[in-house]
Amino acid sequence: MAADVHKKKGWEVPNGSLAPGDGQHAERSESPTPGLAQGTEPGAGQEGAMFVHTRSYEDLTSPEDGAAAARSPEERRGEPAEPTSMEQISKDFSELSTQLTGMALDLEEEMRQSKEGKLEPSPQTTHRDSVLSGKEEEDVTMDAWRMHRKHVFVLSEAGKPVYSRYGSEEALSSTMGVMMALVSFLEAEKNAIRSIHAGTALGGNGMWGLMACLAVLLPWATLAVPRGRLVAGGRGCSLAPPCSPGEPGLQVCPRPSRGTPSQADGYKVVFVRRSPLVLVAVARTRQSEQEIAHELLYIYYQILSLLTWTQLNHIFQQKQNYDLRRLLAGSERITDNLLDLMAHDPSFLMGAVRCLPLAASVRDAVSTSLQQAKAKSLVFSILLSGNQLVSLVRKKDQFLHPIDLHLLFNLISSSSSFREGEAWTPICLPKFNSSGFFHAHISYLEQEMDLCLLLVSTDREDFFTVSDCKRRFQERLRRRGVHHALQEALRTPFYSVAQVGIPDLRHFIYKSKSSGLFTSPEIEAPYVREEEKERLLGLYQYLHSRAHNSSRPLKNIYFTGPRENLLAWVTSAFELYICYSPLGTKAGAISAVNKLMKWIRKEEDRLFILTPQTY
Amino acid sequence: MSGRRVDAKVVLLGQEGVGKSSLVERCAHRRFRPGPYQNTIGAAFVAKVMSVGDQTVTLGIWDTAGSERYEAMSRIYYRGARAAVVCYDLTDSSSFQRAKFWVNELQNCEEGCRIYLCGTKSDLLEEDRRKRGVDFHDVQDYADEIKAELFETSSKTGQSVDELFQKVAEDYVHFTAFQVMTEEKGVDLGQRSGAYFYSCCHH
Ligand SMILES: Nc1nc2c(ncn2[C@@H]2O[C@H](COP(=O)(O)OP(=O)(O)OP(=O)(O)O)[C@@H](O)[C@H]2O)c(=O)[nH]1
Ligand SMILES: [Mg+2]
Repeated sequence: MAADVHKKKGWEVPNGSLAPGDGQHAERSESPTPGLAQGTEPGAGQEGAMFVHTRSYEDLTSPEDGAAAARSPEERRGEPAEPTSMEQISKDFSELSTQLTGMALDLEEEMRQSKEGKLEPSPQTTHRDSVLSGKEEEDVTMDAWRMHRKHVFVLSEAGKPVYSRYGSEEALSSTMGVMMALVSFLEAEKNAIRSIHAGTALGGNGMWGLMACLAVLLPWATLAVPRGRLVAGGRGCSLAPPCSPGEPGLQVCPRPSRGTPSQADGYKVVFVRRSPLVLVAVARTRQSEQEIAHELLYIYYQILSLLTWTQLNHIFQQKQNYDLRRLLAGSERITDNLLDLMAHDPSFLMGAVRCLPLAASVRDAVSTSLQQAKAKSLVFSILLSGNQLVSLVRKKDQFLHPIDLHLLFNLISSSSSFREGEAWTPICLPKFNSSGFFHAHISYLEQEMDLCLLLVSTDREDFFTVSDCKRRFQERLRRRGVHHALQEALRTPFYSVAQVGIPDLRHFIYKSKSSGLFTSPEIEAPYVREEEKERLLGLYQYLHSRAHNSSRPLKNIYFTGPRENLLAWVTSAFELYICYSPLGTKAGAISAVNKLMKWIRKEEDRLFILTPQTY
Repeated sequence: MSGRRVDAKVVLLGQEGVGKSSLVERCAHRRFRPGPYQNTIGAAFVAKVMSVGDQTVTLGIWDTAGSERYEAMSRIYYRGARAAVVCYDLTDSSSFQRAKFWVNELQNCEEGCRIYLCGTKSDLLEEDRRKRGVDFHDVQDYADEIKAELFETSSKTGQSVDELFQKVAEDYVHFTAFQVMTEEKGVDLGQRSGAYFYSCCHH
């Protein structure tokens, strides 16, 4: 199939004829256009995909035992019976926008301006540094708040703290009452996602948002205790009780009377309820509610990956007010890391996986070696470097979900404990099967090499067999003589955008929808400082949310800002986001897109895994 | 094929943060990393070759995670173990209570497993005697009662760490010399069960 790839040079589909993506392979053109059917875009696998087909956050909301997910052959019993239907959730999502009352925020204005998909935000929105007024600086609460752009809490439905990103969970418990009142106020059905805007006029949801902000903010105005290591069994540290909310508390998130309101003035409080847990984010970022909810769901899945959905529910059925921190002790670092990663790594936003750039011949040799080192109990063999995929071999008919792979990436990057010896740990892949554990063999191939091998087995008793697979894999790798080439590739795990040869192009993200893989160059100047990098990702997040807005999705977005221009292009086959110089013109951007797409096509066998293997 | 390379399975048990991974690190790599505490996830396996007289013994050491999250499946790590090093932090009495829990567990489920009690972080006591949270004589009495060896170690200074693992290896050689050698089978491949949480002996 698709043997005549690259044959038809210059084949182009006339603009506007949007062939439906049916996932079938057709011919691959040199420069993709919107007419490309899914499966023919650059990066599309030639022999089918490795992953469960996924779109973006919509996919996150499907029940844990989603129909798309394949089953672990071993653990079919105890099917989770989540009461949520997909329709309900999409309804929740679409209702979100109507929940947001009184939001004369820049987003709204931008929406109005973007009738033709063109966004030209007022300068204030990008010059966020100018937001701080003298008054706010006097406010200790505000200071403490500004340090953290996004708070994340997890609590049980009984109101017990489970996780808090900043500050101890103990401090949080005093605010649980308010939180729970809010939750019950908002609750219509379980597993819903709700959000509130704060920072606007009082009344309606705004008031509730303010209350939530107050409840969250005030205890820390005086406490501001960074969460240290939980000592003695991780039951929490003892802290002085939080002081009672101050009198003029309503000034905590005032709305400065300035010309154009900015998003930065307000908080979004987003609730995700996944019985028996409630997840809350209080965010000052430009992200949409959906995207914040998306991150909360990742946190939820992170917890499931440690406990399984079945065990989590079993525990709370036995004891409603169980203190889950007992079981999660020591895992806070993993969750913290996940939140940090989501703020830096576009993988989560794209719902896709990035590959280590590698010559196709080397990658094929690695994959074949991995494929040959199989065992009966193995389901997935994954080789990764940093947060990039080197190779993935899977059991026939078993598909990994990108979310599960992201959780594995996060697990490995959050702990240096895997650097020694061979780890053998239970792990639940919640999108694959949320009711049971796999056992993962995790080890680094060599001390100094950032190359981690993950062998996922259905049999927890199979350690020595799986360990032997690792040995066999290394042996094969050596015999094929690709070890050196691999080492060379690891020296430059990212490529420079300069390779594309478009002077005004600063950065881009390209995702092939059918393969679930994306590619993106290293973030370079002028995005050098961490804040700058985060700002760039923030812009992508913003475009992404506009492109995927459930009520008004946009296919083409052209965004001009004072510091850079961006362009987003979303078709049924791919998504492309490019960032280029603010001096560039729209016409220049469009020709850059064409050139870039040709370059990606030319490099696709290095940037993507085109021939995924199975055992 | 299972259990290749390994003569004796040794498991390290004990409350989180008592210093099990540090003990293995000292034993296997002769070093101590102060840095931030990195709790173990699941368990880590390390093979260590020891010499006893003119014989060599390969210990397959399982460094388990102390977190309660893994308690229900700890059995897969200690099943078939010839030796268990049950650790507690000399400065923390609660960790000794936890050690007793593991001893009970082993006595109920693994009769053939020899127990080595290990009080860790002894260097902290040298800094300040008053830091001792577990009385030596109490532990000594307890060790006699359960027929266990007792060590007080420091992974920071290296004190008694080699002695501990040497003793484990020697005991293995001495006690198996009189037995018919059976293949060390760390795991029982025949037994498979569904969700783990219910299949454990203490549930
Ligand atoms: N002073 C001193 N500190 C130690 C010693 N051994 C371990 N520690 C410290 O105690 C902390 C925990 O050590 P680990 O070895 O990771 O503990 P663990 O028992 O493996 O913990 P889990 O993997 O969570 O079960 C680390 O901060 C170590 O630096 C020791 O002998 N002396
Ligand atoms: Mg450890």
